[in-house]
Amino acid sequence: MNRRHLMTGAIAGLAASTLPAAAQAAGIPVGAIEILTGPAAAYGIAIKAGLELALDTINQKGILGGQKIALTVEDSAGDKNQAINAARKLIGRDKAVLIIGPTLSNEMFAVGPVTNERKVPTIGTSTTATGITEIGPYIFRTSLPESDVVPVTFKKAQARGVKTVALMYANDDAFSKSGFDVMKAAAEKLGLKILTIETFGSKDTDFSAQLTKVKGLKPDAVTISALVEPVSGVLLQARQLGFGKETLFIGGNGSNSPKLGDIAGAAADGMIVGSPWFIAKPDPLNTAFVAAFKAKYNKDPDQFAAQAYDCMFIAAAAIERAGAADSEKITAALAKTSYTGVMGPFAFTAGRDPASSEGVVVLEMKGGKFGIAS
Amino acid sequence: MMAWWDDFFWTYQNLVYALGINGLLALSIYVVLAVGQLSLGQAAFMGLGAYSSTIMTVKFKLPFLLVLPASCVVPVVFALLIGGPTLRLSGVYLAIATIGLGEVLRAVYLNIDYFGGALGLSGIPERAGVGAIYGLLVVALLVLWLVGRSHIGRAMEAMRTDETAAEVMGINVPRYRLGALLASAVLAGLAGALSAHVSSFIGPNEYGFEPAVTILSYALLGGIGTPIAPVLGAWILTLLPEMLRGLADFRLVFNGLIIVIAVLFLPRGLLAFRLRRS
Repeated sequence: MNRRHLMTGAIAGLAASTLPAAAQAAGIPVGAIEILTGPAAAYGIAIKAGLELALDTINQKGILGGQKIALTVEDSAGDKNQAINAARKLIGRDKAVLIIGPTLSNEMFAVGPVTNERKVPTIGTSTTATGITEIGPYIFRTSLPESDVVPVTFKKAQARGVKTVALMYANDDAFSKSGFDVMKAAAEKLGLKILTIETFGSKDTDFSAQLTKVKGLKPDAVTISALVEPVSGVLLQARQLGFGKETLFIGGNGSNSPKLGDIAGAAADGMIVGSPWFIAKPDPLNTAFVAAFKAKYNKDPDQFAAQAYDCMFIAAAAIERAGAADSEKITAALAKTSYTGVMGPFAFTAGRDPASSEGVVVLEMKGGKFGIAS
Repeated sequence: MMAWWDDFFWTYQNLVYALGINGLLALSIYVVLAVGQLSLGQAAFMGLGAYSSTIMTVKFKLPFLLVLPASCVVPVVFALLIGGPTLRLSGVYLAIATIGLGEVLRAVYLNIDYFGGALGLSGIPERAGVGAIYGLLVVALLVLWLVGRSHIGRAMEAMRTDETAAEVMGINVPRYRLGALLASAVLAGLAGALSAHVSSFIGPNEYGFEPAVTILSYALLGGIGTPIAPVLGAWILTLLPEMLRGLADFRLVFNGLIIVIAVLFLPRGLLAFRLRRS
């Protein structure tokens, strides 16, 4: 998220991208559009790492009778126009038969219509906003939308006796706003009483006005939909204002990051978050993935890498079943996906969203680290 | 051959559009700079054009021929409203006031659900094309060139070089300032409407402080001696990131390096010559 990240990212990316460039002469062209530079680069770099790790395994054996997948990853820098340019370049120049990405939902709203017009199947691995797959019949996603994850978390909270909630969210970015919409709907559906709705900005550092109001209302739980930095800020300040164990803090997908523990430390203890994936999930596929990831990149994978890793296998399997590197046939094959990966069993609904939310686990912060919530 | 060309054009279609739209934005900052003012409100005017035109198209289903001219109306109204109080300011103070306008509007888009909030407005039909974008760019260039060669252009240049002297010579400085601000609002509004109608999605963060600085840098790189200079600057700054795609992770480094070198060695812009007048 800062300059140092950018630099390490640039170096890691360079090392990773120069090698396959030489081998790209032949193979099945697949494109990916991710944020590799700029403030949101951490997400794109994790996704790229996940894709390339999966590709190592896939290309060892090859698909369609030993052919390799030639993956070209283009940078969108988080910018709508650059994302569109990248998509057009991948389809028009590189003749990509399938596109993975882009990273942000906002980018997908701009890129989706373009790839859909060209009938090139496009799979989002990290786009969780509502309405993504409604762009067109060629737009898929393997990321669980928040509307599948949040209800699981809320049910856990309800089981712990939560009856009243205060909703807080950052109202200046699409991801947080969309997450809040889902939380509000889920709370209403489960019959939780909403005491107040408070908003803040993603770059705010002072949340005392909102928190003081929330504290006066004494809710059983406070939900926060925002990226991890503001969430950490809210938690730190909440503890200073005297929020204790009696109030359960519930986070959205943005809070599902190891950075929460790094920034907020003990202040984050007790917060629960729903996640489609968990690093310590005791599943042989998952432990193998985590070990391989650590061996290749010398760091722990996050959920974005895990989602991308599964997506690459799902895409490769679809190309294999299509029997040819043909976008139309791949789209048809994708719709019939049935795959078990590190996230759990996976299939698409008729609306091209993930069919099952079985893989969702509710995590709880303890001593600055996530563990399975009891 | 035809098929190859179609593919080639399809690949770079968005870039071709962006060149034209950013050209219009460069002209929009040019008119303000040409009278010696520094405004950072271009992105705000662009946002007003984009949002108002999108709402007219998506929510009221008006035809594009009507939407395009109407998209200038809202930016012009705002320019008139802020023109009175802010044109008394000059230099960096006007720049700060116009940044304020951009931030206020961003907060408005974010907090009013009618404007889609942080999710922006999506599903905008593609109505604009090469004809509309480049037609308007050529017309704008021609008009500004002719104006620049007339006595108005002479007055503008006088104001830019020495405002007090120009005032003493009998130039109605406030009127020219307001005129320039209105013209710049029209151009930015058009650019906003065109860009919304070729990219299917707009969001509040596209019209904040960062794009305002990018637009200013078009004129810094190109120069403001002639209307064509900032357009050239816009084209270079728009093309560079795409042409450097081959450099993968190094492209930002090279992009920055080229701009730094250009500014260091060509402080008056790439095209430093001035308009000739009879």
